[in-house]
Amino acid sequence: MTGQFYTMGVDVGGSYVKAVLVNYSDNPKIIDKHAEKIRKRNPADVAGELVNYILQNNGLQYEDIAYLASTGEGELVRRKKGHFYSMTTHSKGGEFLCPGVKTVVDMGALYVRAIKIGERARVLDYKMTGQCASGSGQFIENISRYLGLAIEEVGSVSLEADHPEVPSGICAVLAETDVINMVSRGITTPNIIKGIHLSIGGRIIKLMSALKAESPVMLAGGLAINKGMVQAIRELLKDTKYEFEIVTHPDAIYSGAIGAALWGGFRHVKLSKEQAVLV
Amino acid sequence: MSKEVVKEKSMVLQKEMLGKHFIELSRTHETGKKVVYTFVPGNLSELILAFGMLPVYPEINALQSGMRKKSGSFIREAEKMGHSEDVCTYVKCDIGMMLNGNIGPTGEKLPPPDLLLLSYTGCFTFMKWFESLERLYPGVPVAMLHTPYQENGEMTEEMTNYMVEQLKQEVIPKMEMVSGNKYDESKLAGILENSAKAEDLIVKIFSTTKNRPSPIDAYFAGVYYIGPINSGFRGTPEAVTYYEALYEEILERVRLGLGPITPEGEMEEERFRLVVEGPPNWTSFREFWKLFYDMGAVVVASSYTKVGGMHDLGFRHDPAQPLASLGKYCMNCYTNLNLPQRIDLLAKYITEYHADGFLVNSIKSCNSFSAGQLLMMRQLEERLGIPVSFIESDLVDPRYFSYSNIKNRLDSFFQMLDQRKIIKGQMEETTA
Repeated sequence: MTGQFYTMGVDVGGSYVKAVLVNYSDNPKIIDKHAEKIRKRNPADVAGELVNYILQNNGLQYEDIAYLASTGEGELVRRKKGHFYSMTTHSKGGEFLCPGVKTVVDMGALYVRAIKIGERARVLDYKMTGQCASGSGQFIENISRYLGLAIEEVGSVSLEADHPEVPSGICAVLAETDVINMVSRGITTPNIIKGIHLSIGGRIIKLMSALKAESPVMLAGGLAINKGMVQAIRELLKDTKYEFEIVTHPDAIYSGAIGAALWGGFRHVKLSKEQAVLV
Repeated sequence: MSKEVVKEKSMVLQKEMLGKHFIELSRTHETGKKVVYTFVPGNLSELILAFGMLPVYPEINALQSGMRKKSGSFIREAEKMGHSEDVCTYVKCDIGMMLNGNIGPTGEKLPPPDLLLLSYTGCFTFMKWFESLERLYPGVPVAMLHTPYQENGEMTEEMTNYMVEQLKQEVIPKMEMVSGNKYDESKLAGILENSAKAEDLIVKIFSTTKNRPSPIDAYFAGVYYIGPINSGFRGTPEAVTYYEALYEEILERVRLGLGPITPEGEMEEERFRLVVEGPPNWTSFREFWKLFYDMGAVVVASSYTKVGGMHDLGFRHDPAQPLASLGKYCMNCYTNLNLPQRIDLLAKYITEYHADGFLVNSIKSCNSFSAGQLLMMRQLEERLGIPVSFIESDLVDPRYFSYSNIKNRLDSFFQMLDQRKIIKGQMEETTA
């Protein structure tokens, strides 16, 4: 393709809305990115504000964006040109951030999903955690609030653990009761948090195993920026037969939004070519 | 906005049949007709009819209560009595309904049982269920029919003989005692003739989903279609008339190339063809169905619609050997099959009905159905290489239906199905 243009991807998740501005070309570049917690607001409003904020921040008008693409629960996003499935966007975004990955694990607020990808980030297969919320980022957030930690602190606090205690990995309610009991027994906060990371990590490894995941594995989604979570998965893998190379990226939380912006660019080029043929 | 549901002739017929049945039940104190409470899987409808008695199916009442949003309070009532949260919710709903005056689905009061016919077919809960009913209705006779499980994946002659002996020595004498009528084998044979006719039609009806587009949904609409055959009408001329009318309507849809009728309107584009294992959720039935409708997903075959009989595998009630065929019918129930048989059956459905994917709706409180479902799913995935998914809900406990959790999982499943279609399309283009 020749030339370049702007695309924007908006990923409406269970807890955050993420938006990314991309300068799309044969070698796309991320120009700007922003994530905003939903906090009991209408996700469509949050998404709208985020789009306006990024436009303003970069001195752009809506008309300057060739393609505004949504993903996740982003069907709510106003003024979008198209919507993309979240598995395809996380794969595309994951592959963009960590080229060569063969598995992307989307670790979000509501669930964890392991996606096996092929050439050009094509989704080949997937596996998802069961219905219970203890496998989700939202559970960690709830527990961190109970323990008086800011969500941003959780990762580094986990790294301080020396004798982690693992709660029930079956059910969020049971795990929460375990945590309350641990607090009353004087278990330190780092050991509790690390225990939770190990519990969730164990479930993620089971997912990778069920998927017959291939290495390298990229951890994406909101939980991927939690260093403690990533470390727990690496530690757990040492005790298994799997030799997965675990990679992640500081922008891993934006993988869905990046993927949407990239697919948006791809679709824009395709549509432009089709229109040119019609003319 | 949802469109108005189109009532076809068969729907009207079914409504009339069920309405008449419940009115008849409510008048037993005037007519003197005796009432038999029994279960759907392995039901002996024909035998009950041969003695001039009326059947009541507690599972059907429970699911109807679920659809009418009444089950939640019935279940809480049973839990107050001491039934645990893990007990089958059909049982708790049924007990709660009885404690609340035993008002049936159509608003008519249901009569108490004169006989509890416990046809045990692959579900241990049935035994505990009737133990509870025995306490609620002290002194009511219980006839127990123990159906041997198909542990080795087959029905032997010894197993059939064992069933026939139980019918002769346990079930029939109790029915004679309760009804005051003598067992009349020629009358039973006449009824079984109608059963076989209805069964032929049922098989033809569920085979129409091999068409593209499928003219019906074999799960969500299928549960309505199996209504008459599973609620005491098998063996009646009314059931044959109903299934003839239904089959004609469906053939017309095939001729016109139409998709299934749903509560949201006619499905205009069939995007995905699915095989579903496990019962549906009844408390949010329409919401549940809409999740599939919105994605253009049609269920072309399901195990649940075979819970009242595996007629598509060739079984028919046989007027020439009435008791033996009743025995074989009971042993042929879906939940009485072993896991390898169930896997083979589902694989056959996926292949023969050209399904794109396989979905399990695992029921929280139904161990007899849910045990082994993960294993079944994994084996089917491995054997056939198709996308599979697993969702969880319950029969009639509204507390276990989590819309967003189910939607999240179905969304991923449909995304995967879509991807596979794209890949398949590209591969076909390359080879062409």
